[in-house]
Amino acid sequence: MSPTDSIADANRLPFPGAVDAAFSAKPSDIEREVMELFEQFRSPLLRYALSFGVTVQDGEEIIQEVFLALFRHLQSGKSRRNLRGWIFRVAHNLTLKQRYANQRSLDGMAFDSTIAERQPDPSPNPEEQLSSAQRRERLLAVVRVLREADQSCLRLRAEGLRYREIAAVLGISLGAVSMSLTRSLARLIRADGR
Amino acid sequence: MHVSDQELLLAADGELRAGRAAQVRAHLAACWHCRARMAEMEGTIADFARAHRQSLDAQLPPIDGPRALLRAHLAQLVSKPPADSWRRVFRFQSPVRAAAFVGVAFVALFAAAMVGRIVLQHSAWRGTDSALVASERGSEPDRTLTPGATRMVAIGDVCSMPHEEVVAEVSTSLRQEVFQEYGIVSAHAGDYEIDYLIAPGLGGVEDIHNLWPEPYTSRTWSAHVKDDLEERLHQMVCAGKLDLSTAQREIATDWIAAYKKYFHTDRPLSLRSDLISRRRSRVA
Repeated sequence: MSPTDSIADANRLPFPGAVDAAFSAKPSDIEREVMELFEQFRSPLLRYALSFGVTVQDGEEIIQEVFLALFRHLQSGKSRRNLRGWIFRVAHNLTLKQRYANQRSLDGMAFDSTIAERQPDPSPNPEEQLSSAQRRERLLAVVRVLREADQSCLRLRAEGLRYREIAAVLGISLGAVSMSLTRSLARLIRADGR
Repeated sequence: MHVSDQELLLAADGELRAGRAAQVRAHLAACWHCRARMAEMEGTIADFARAHRQSLDAQLPPIDGPRALLRAHLAQLVSKPPADSWRRVFRFQSPVRAAAFVGVAFVALFAAAMVGRIVLQHSAWRGTDSALVASERGSEPDRTLTPGATRMVAIGDVCSMPHEEVVAEVSTSLRQEVFQEYGIVSAHAGDYEIDYLIAPGLGGVEDIHNLWPEPYTSRTWSAHVKDDLEERLHQMVCAGKLDLSTAQREIATDWIAAYKKYFHTDRPLSLRSDLISRRRSRVA
């Protein structure tokens, strides 16, 4: 039996019109809700995960896990308060776990090419007085040397989270969040020479 | 006295108590210095937010593949109890049966060794090694042995098929035939799952031409990754987005290529936690 023989039989099988009647289980309300939240937060979450230096592949997997966990969370009737904060918190924890695993497996040979790619251009065009790209790189460079919790605060804020949500994601107090941001902003402003 | 940076930030996010918020508002209305500082901080956050996005957005792959994968995984969560999948055929239903299988396999090997002594043992190990190497090389079946086989079926039947109907185990004799065909010694049969090439949910049948030993050891393109593809194709067929015959042809010809095509990716978007839990359920 050759592949074409066995498949040839199949060609007569489907018949038009059978499709609608056959459409099986409609996605439940929870599935729909999870998919909507996925549309809304996949990019912000992936950016957030990538900023920890995990690969895109790992980031995507983390996000899949986040939304499957969200589905189970909603399905079991748990609290729906501040789902955005919940989603980011799970993503944050999974990302840290992933990075920890990566660090262990890399064991010293940790040259992160994704970070290398984000380094400022070593030969800026001298004619361009502080192009927007240069300024962007300078801001990012300042942030990269901040304490990790400070970086997270800024990045979560950049993804639109309120301070209260950031506090919940990172497991710190509201005061600690505002203090961290105050500190980071002072540095950014100084570096920016404003 | 001026308002601190910290209070300015909290005020902007509506986190000050009503009384204090009113005081800060009144102060801001009168104090140019504090207004400028607040604007500077908010402007800096906005600039950073822009820089943050611009630096990372280029790395984000299109959402289509991940969206399809999540939909497939959600469907799996909804449609089956976690441990059992209708696509899995060769799975020991109880520890007793698993133990019995291992026991029988062990006795068989021992008997063989007694008869053939060292010579047979030697060739058996060599055979095993090459089979394992082959399994690492190919997550796809040998097409001459497993071209795929389907039955006459309407889409309606495929889409309304209760999962229990297709969960029936492949008979022991057929299983042995498949292993024999692929030259796998029984002592290592546990490293493989007898899987349908064309899943029953896509009209595939329990026929030696549609069954192959899929190695658990394949790291990248594993049986679990193929499950995701089957789910995805099943959904697309039942939603009228894909011809059943096309789905059958593509999964039979090169399921890895089909996965790449329908998930818009070059690498499996597998789920570690899901895999781990499934592996555990299998070991248990």
